[in-house]
Amino acid sequence: MIPVGSAAVKGVRMEKIERLVNLTAYLLDRRQPVTLEQLSATVYAGHEGGGEALRRMFERDKDELRDMGIDIEAASAAVGEDVGYTIQREKYYLPHVDLTPQESVALTMVSRLFLGSGTPFSGPAHSAMLKLAFDAGAGRPRTKVPHMRWVDVPGDRDLLDAILEALMRRKVLSFAYKSLDASEPLKREVEPYGLLSRRGSWYLIGRCRVREEVRCFKLDRITSKVLVNKKSPRSPDFDVPPDFKLQEEARWEWPLPCEEEVRARVSFAPRLAFAFESGGADVVSSKRLKDGTMNVTYKVGDPEQFIDWVMEFGADARILSPPELVAMARERLQGVLRSLDGDDG
Amino acid sequence: MGTMDRVAARLNRMLLMVPLILREKGASIEELCRALGVDRKELMADLDTLWLCGLPSYTPLDLIDRRIEGDRVYLSMADYFRRPLTVTRQEALTLLVAGRTLIGAGFFEEEGPLASALEKVEGMLSQEQKGDVEDIARRIEVELDSYPGKWWKEIENGIGSGHNIILEYYSYSRDTVSEREVEPFSLLWSRGHWYLMAWCHLAEDKRLFRLDRIKSVAPTEHRVTRSAGGELYVPELVGEYRPGRKAHNVKLRFFGKEGRRLAEDWPAALFTDKPDGSVAVEFRTRNLIWLSNYLLKFGDRFRIDSPGELKAMLKEKVERLLGVYDESGR
Repeated sequence: MIPVGSAAVKGVRMEKIERLVNLTAYLLDRRQPVTLEQLSATVYAGHEGGGEALRRMFERDKDELRDMGIDIEAASAAVGEDVGYTIQREKYYLPHVDLTPQESVALTMVSRLFLGSGTPFSGPAHSAMLKLAFDAGAGRPRTKVPHMRWVDVPGDRDLLDAILEALMRRKVLSFAYKSLDASEPLKREVEPYGLLSRRGSWYLIGRCRVREEVRCFKLDRITSKVLVNKKSPRSPDFDVPPDFKLQEEARWEWPLPCEEEVRARVSFAPRLAFAFESGGADVVSSKRLKDGTMNVTYKVGDPEQFIDWVMEFGADARILSPPELVAMARERLQGVLRSLDGDDG
Repeated sequence: MGTMDRVAARLNRMLLMVPLILREKGASIEELCRALGVDRKELMADLDTLWLCGLPSYTPLDLIDRRIEGDRVYLSMADYFRRPLTVTRQEALTLLVAGRTLIGAGFFEEEGPLASALEKVEGMLSQEQKGDVEDIARRIEVELDSYPGKWWKEIENGIGSGHNIILEYYSYSRDTVSEREVEPFSLLWSRGHWYLMAWCHLAEDKRLFRLDRIKSVAPTEHRVTRSAGGELYVPELVGEYRPGRKAHNVKLRFFGKEGRRLAEDWPAALFTDKPDGSVAVEFRTRNLIWLSNYLLKFGDRFRIDSPGELKAMLKEKVERLLGVYDESGR
């Protein structure tokens, strides 16, 4: 069948995606480097504007392909003095990799972790998985691998796309940021050093050009779009200090450790006693009574947060000791009553 | 996504699609769609574009040939795309970050099959790329907490062997513990919690179960009959983002930082900053029971503007709880 719609056949300019496919195909297929002149008569046929415009278009295409992992390299052409271009086959094609069965299982688990995660990692995780399984083929029975996935909620996706791009290219980001105690958002310019996901939230760590120091920005508190500096996208705006360590900049703990450690006893109704380890604080000891009631002693770091957690059990958990914590819990409950009866503020 | 990213994503997919079809000597369109995560229309558009591509001088004899028979697609004249593009920087980076996440959460040893596998993957990169990817991976960290409860193994067994399991589950929104048989699909971590994704025979629908609310797990002999299939819409499963017409309309106000922090936790709610510094929150929910537990911790730092039903529920609960404290204090 004749694909009558083919732009190339008619000598009309091709769509960009066709052009990129054709450029890749041509350079992969030819053993010898190809000159720009040869390209202008083939892949770039039909493009007007002469030599300089064509060269610029070729450079842009080359950059885009490089971003995708396809390297077009300059080499001396087969004929004459001209520079030629080539894609080295051994660099392009996926090599055969021998993995032990354990390594295969590990890689499958790893590549699945971010599948459909709603982050910029979803796509690469997907294609990586297909590539690594390529030689195994579809016929071979797959090893059973635990399904474990990491999922983000949408909303962060666009922010993460921009941040990751800037992080990889070392470009400056600008956005409006409203810290928890500020009434108005402030415009920030940040050199992105690192990205952290902790307790279900994303944090950008970077040097704030306004404050002139390394700061941590919670993505939920960014109130505008995140813009990546578009000027000279292929040359970095800054260097990351060689001694930068993500974990050190993000060494704030949650819950915040308190000066003094408090031991608290809590009694859980039989119905929800199973959840006594679900959070809040470290368990020191626990005792199940005959009726199923569970009495548990905790080592409490932050009493306020501990009470928040106990309160979520509603009437199924109550603090037995120490008296200070009981008083705090009672005060919360009295507060709720005041709130229900009270007027504004 | 910008135009550029769309072109890159499509090109990436097309360069992977061709070797997959060539490898199978004709591939099932349905399976391809599933493997590549696209619908039939997108796949056909890609194949149409490929059909217009090839080598100079781009006569029909030089172009990639495409043949479709029933559910199968065949390609020829595309030998230069017989193997996929090698692992890219982004792919290697993703694997490195994910690998470190799983090591950090204790699923793999620091030195073991995962580490050696990742080394082999990195071996596919050029020296320059490798250094680059390692430098970036070092600055991205996704923390995953390990699950403290005792039912992980039982759930994993159910998923691994393809058998239903019986859950005793505490429903926070209804404040009840009930038993249900589920078809387990996968374990997932989202926003600070572990969940089991499963088909629930009680709800007759796909559901997420928070692992710390599972009271017990029991195995069954029943084979899993459904597939996880379809795109997962997590917010819908985690929270009540599409509560339907019967839902209550809730209007609350919070004072202090809590209101703003809530805005981060409830992306589906409508938040308004008030001149007095408080934050007004409006959202819809199917039932109020969870809210009457949730609000307890806020003490006097909130107001309920509506519904009145919630006020009554909360009042009843607080008085009961205070009664318990009074009694034990005596």
